[in-house]
Amino acid sequence: MTRPYVPWFLLAIALTLAAVYLFPLYWMYVTSLKSGSEIFANPPTFWPVEPDLSIYPSVWFRRTMQTFMWNSVLIASGVTAITVLLGTGCAYVLARYRSGWIDFGLFMILMLQVLPASVMITPLFVGFNQLGLLNYPRTAVVLAAAAKAMPFFVVLVRATFMSVPRELEEAALVDGNSRIGAFFNIVLPLARNGILVCAILTFMSSFGEYIYSKSIIQNGAMQPASVGLSGFLGPNSSDWNSIMAYSAIYVTPILAVFVLLQRRIVSGLTSGALK
Amino acid sequence: MSAQIELSNIDKHYGAFHALKDVSLSIEKGSFVALVGPSGCGKSTLLRSIAGLETITSGTLKIAGQTMNGVPPRKRDVAMVFQSYALYPHMTVEENLTYSLRLHGVGKAEAKVKAAEVAATTGLSALLKRYPRELSGGQRQRVAMGRAIIRNPKAFLFDEPLSNLDAALRVHMRKEIRALHDRLGATSVYVTHDQIEAMTMADHVVVMRDGVIEQQGSPLELYDRPVSKFVAGFIGSPAMNFVPGTIGPDGMTVALEIAQSLSLPLARHQEPGRKVLVGLRPEHLVIGEPEQATLRLPVAVVESTGSMTFVTTSTEPEMTVVETRRTTVRPGDTIGVSIAPNQVHLFDPATEKAI
Repeated sequence: MTRPYVPWFLLAIALTLAAVYLFPLYWMYVTSLKSGSEIFANPPTFWPVEPDLSIYPSVWFRRTMQTFMWNSVLIASGVTAITVLLGTGCAYVLARYRSGWIDFGLFMILMLQVLPASVMITPLFVGFNQLGLLNYPRTAVVLAAAAKAMPFFVVLVRATFMSVPRELEEAALVDGNSRIGAFFNIVLPLARNGILVCAILTFMSSFGEYIYSKSIIQNGAMQPASVGLSGFLGPNSSDWNSIMAYSAIYVTPILAVFVLLQRRIVSGLTSGALK
Repeated sequence: MSAQIELSNIDKHYGAFHALKDVSLSIEKGSFVALVGPSGCGKSTLLRSIAGLETITSGTLKIAGQTMNGVPPRKRDVAMVFQSYALYPHMTVEENLTYSLRLHGVGKAEAKVKAAEVAATTGLSALLKRYPRELSGGQRQRVAMGRAIIRNPKAFLFDEPLSNLDAALRVHMRKEIRALHDRLGATSVYVTHDQIEAMTMADHVVVMRDGVIEQQGSPLELYDRPVSKFVAGFIGSPAMNFVPGTIGPDGMTVALEIAQSLSLPLARHQEPGRKVLVGLRPEHLVIGEPEQATLRLPVAVVESTGSMTFVTTSTEPEMTVVETRRTTVRPGDTIGVSIAPNQVHLFDPATEKAI
């Protein structure tokens, strides 16, 4: 019996890279629990001598994190809602029709993905200012971030729709359904998993949205947690365990969601959510 | 005459590609019509045009007397069975069966009763609560059939429904589909690239090629009197042998280019000296004693299936002879072959039309 080939070398590289990426996360949790002097101890301790959990409630109240987190949820929900509603229709059309115009549309959508937010923010800011949208800063951020999230969503959901056989729709048409009915009755239920996964990914990435919020939202009561975090950073900031505690509170929900849905996300992205 | 489906002068263009060229076809109520041809001949396009999944560029399409050009599929009242079955993966067998009924506003209870009836006729009763992914190929095929018959539509359209099944099941389903058609008194249009399916199932076979109807008629008409080399070669298995030849001076024989010294007698007088293409069906060639036969052919390959033996000659072009009796012929032998004059087909080498 031959043993299955195991790519040990590649596995080692993958684990190393994962460690490089995950170590800061671990360091964040550990540091948040350390005392001020222990943080700067040399050699560093890999587990806090006296873990102090009271830092979490104190940071939560001191930094009015409730407001920041609520704003983050609001913005992420808005972005996800707009992206899913508009992006799903868009992705379906791009998946089902073939013509020069469709190719052009797909090209333009991918173009959106190429433009970085830091470049787009200045013209967006000027435009929003003229439209008076800056008086509704969270709405403005939702619009800007939805435009940014759209290409990723459309491209992935398009792939999902393409994996739904066209014959199923045709069968529904012959069975007596209309185009729209066949879409809602047959195609959408079959693409549901893929759409759900992409929606979750969109939510998670816009939960961490920073550039648009930082530039557009001036009022502290409307800023999301990402902007609130930057409020810590001053010329002589040294309150590292509070910063780490804040970060931990901020990312833990996203991490939790990801870990819980990890299986679905991976299978949804790879299998096209059908079978 | 009551034509259930009537196509007059149908044209279909996909951009620059001319998929259907002036196709006219009348399908009578209760008949089973097979559309056959090689892939890309337009048979599927024609079927999909009848279903309304393709719009025709010009011509008129009537179903049960009503013009259907531009009418969406759901208002045509036809049922279609797809090659991939196209069962809705997220619905149980029962939901798949009753989907069209529910769309047409039939009540839940009534739909359930209907589904049970159809399941009984198609042998699906035990599987109603299953999902398509839990069924075998043959069972899926039955669900697809059941979904079509539950509606009692004006016509059944089949798009190569058996090509995903293994050979034994295909032969079985062939009979089952035909029996179902007879029991329901339905009108069926059946697309296939398999001429055996067409010959065995249909009352009326339509051979298509490059978007044109090459010939239509009953299966035996096509077999006995093909109008062109294409139809002759397409219908019948193994395929007809084609050998160039020249009509003899008396006009009643034809000399084959592979066996110069020998001539085949003809049933009808032909223009002496004319170059022709001679079509001889393998099963019409009879092996006998070399001295009495009309052709003497050297043997290259002998393949036996048990019931039949295929003898391939080493002539150029090679010929196939089917022998149904046990034979002692071996490669390297010379066999004598004869054929009845009325079984010799002649085609014009240039136009490939029958003479």
